[in-house]
Amino acid sequence: MKSFLGKRAVASAISLVGLVILVFFLSRLTGDPTNLFLPEHASQEARDKFRAIHGLDQPLIIQFFSYLGDLLRFDFGESVRRSEPAIDSVLRGFAWTLQLGAVTMSLVTVAAIVVGSLAAFHVGGFFDRVATFFSLIGASAPDFWIAIVAIVIFSVNLGWLPTSGTGTIWHWVMPVSVLFIRPFGLILQVVRGSMIAALNSAYVKTARAKGVRNRPIIFVHALRNALLPVITVLGDQTAAILNGAVVVETIFGFPGIGKLMIDSILQRDFNVILAAIMVTAFAIFLMNVLIDILYTVLDPRIRY
Amino acid sequence: MTHIVGRISAALLATTIAGTALAQDTAVTIVLSEELDIVDPCEASRSNLGRVILQNISETVTELVPGSGLQPRLAVSWEDKGDGTWRFKLREGVTFSDGTPLDAGDLAHSIARFQGDAISCEIGAKFFGGIELTTEVIDDTTIDITADPAQPILPLLMSTVTVVPSETAMDSFVETPIGTGPFVWEEYARGEYIKLSANDSYWGETPAVTGATYLFRSDSAVRAAMVAAGEADIAANIALQDATDPAMDYSYPNSETVYMRPDTHTAPLDDVRVRQALNYAIDREAFVGTILANGTLLATGLTPPSTIGYNTDLEPYPYDLDKAKALLAEAAADGVPVDTKITLIGRIGNYGNVLETMEASLSMWQEAGFNMELRMVEVAEWLDHYSQPFAEGRGPEIVNAQHDNANGDPVFSMYFKYACDGLQSATCDETLEGLIADATALTGADREAKWSETFKYIQQDLVADVMLFHMVGFSRVNPRLEFTPTIRTNSELQLSQVGFK
Repeated sequence: MKSFLGKRAVASAISLVGLVILVFFLSRLTGDPTNLFLPEHASQEARDKFRAIHGLDQPLIIQFFSYLGDLLRFDFGESVRRSEPAIDSVLRGFAWTLQLGAVTMSLVTVAAIVVGSLAAFHVGGFFDRVATFFSLIGASAPDFWIAIVAIVIFSVNLGWLPTSGTGTIWHWVMPVSVLFIRPFGLILQVVRGSMIAALNSAYVKTARAKGVRNRPIIFVHALRNALLPVITVLGDQTAAILNGAVVVETIFGFPGIGKLMIDSILQRDFNVILAAIMVTAFAIFLMNVLIDILYTVLDPRIRY
Repeated sequence: MTHIVGRISAALLATTIAGTALAQDTAVTIVLSEELDIVDPCEASRSNLGRVILQNISETVTELVPGSGLQPRLAVSWEDKGDGTWRFKLREGVTFSDGTPLDAGDLAHSIARFQGDAISCEIGAKFFGGIELTTEVIDDTTIDITADPAQPILPLLMSTVTVVPSETAMDSFVETPIGTGPFVWEEYARGEYIKLSANDSYWGETPAVTGATYLFRSDSAVRAAMVAAGEADIAANIALQDATDPAMDYSYPNSETVYMRPDTHTAPLDDVRVRQALNYAIDREAFVGTILANGTLLATGLTPPSTIGYNTDLEPYPYDLDKAKALLAEAAADGVPVDTKITLIGRIGNYGNVLETMEASLSMWQEAGFNMELRMVEVAEWLDHYSQPFAEGRGPEIVNAQHDNANGDPVFSMYFKYACDGLQSATCDETLEGLIADATALTGADREAKWSETFKYIQQDLVADVMLFHMVGFSRVNPRLEFTPTIRTNSELQLSQVGFK
């Protein structure tokens, strides 16, 4: 396992360096941030001054090596827009997204596994039809629309929940609910499909023949074997949230990394873009390692 | 790495314990459309920052008051000493929120700071480009300011200058603004809120508002919902489709003017008849109350009607499709290549219903016989088309733009938009150069008359652009407040002007 982790770390580090090089040059291909930062009718003198202050007057290759040099000292540079270290902006946003993602995906995992397993146990039954119907709606409903409708109903009309923001547990209810719907629908379908196959397998029939009760059959024998594809999809959905739940963050005023990244791209705040990509890439690397370890726990035949 | 792990932990902890303030009866909550990035007073001309700190935290030397003109603020009087020098007498007994007294040295430092090379301040870039200011402190409350070239409207320009203590660093932006205003910067939880509290040592009248919390929501529907749900008191800048409650929603001229700027250097747009045809082919009235809000005014000049010298005798071009076609035919007969494809360039998200406005304009021009295509682009690409230097070998282009001038004088617009070297000018006309230079140098009634003449020349003789609309903005205000948004709400929101019913 140690050698596997070492190899994964080296491969990920190489990928990360490649990513940094690619994003550094691609982001600069979008143009100069000077025009976006300064007012429309700023003089050429003001523009030259801005470029000099931020090192944008240097040749691109000099800027690149200067950035790499700083990076080796864990200096991710300053945010042009925020006048603070880029890494501070990114970590602050990432902390919010991490919390949002952790709460949402925990609920999604539990709910999708329980509902998906029960639906698979009575394929074609009333519970299965209802679960399938709502999961398909959830997997295809637009986040933006659901979020706005939820605000109008639960905040403006009923006054039960705050419209947006952070601070109390009630502020989390709508963002988590909206973020929950899509991965829940998707993962429920994966669990259901995987469990149908598992419940029809020979070892389950054998267990039934031995008189094992339904609950252990579903949640002990079948589920463990059905979880491998579920873990893969869960990882994929979690990675999507770690990259930023942009719509939910925007509508509900959650200061997460997704909105920060989009704003930084639109504002050409290069250091923030790079820092955000490195932080999320590192987090996704960690998550993939965790998933690999989970595979070995669920299926001891898997060896690294 | 330990450092980074520590920061992650700190950030996680901070987000866990952060909370929003419970509203007090005399505290207000204001929801803005975007989070503030830099909060330095020398950037206060940015509209969302201006709404937080302008005249609340940081006061200006003079103040332009709608309907009243230029008024004293930190300066109580000013006098033209000739040769570009103005003498300003500062108010006595004023202290910054850190307890230090305001003196002329603070103003000198503030000017040196936004003109310096160490940081790039928007006030300097926006209002003092090409102007060199030198200062001489006469005594604690008297300062001479000399502008090169001389600025007859220097007192008006000083209405944009925020004053910071002379201890403020020259080479970095401040993160906790210190000013002389009626409020004190209390806390900024990045991404969440900003809090201001009352300045107990304020020199002026004590405001009814005792504190303010600013929140950031980029979606207009959410901002409007927050006021409707009682979570916020003022939602600045909401969209037309969200302004649905007459009891809470106010419309007001927002100082923005929408226009089309043809590139007069390139055929066929270099022919005045073609530009006249562009003007006659647009049915301006058809936009109002449909694509654009009721109350939108048809424009004849680039600045709002409240600016001095706005020529009220001018009429918008009437919609006359036959005349547009006839002008095009006449130009074609004289060899003007009127069939050349013209690119109409719009900026995505520039104002509400910009796409619909552009598509309607395109359709009207195509009906008149123009060969035109529409390109909607992001702000960065749009700026490449809008600002000089323009790309070599470009084809004929018309750029749609929205221009803001809430400063009361056309000088803030005319040079940049119409002079040969103006950054966003796509025209170069000797007569117009002279008119702008003359108006800039004059004062009083002469200045007003010259600007009026300039507006007329641009619209009727040069036909430099297709002037469209003076826009209206919408803000939602909680009925518990006594507050009516005005044209200044686009760039500032003075808490001292907010009362309670």
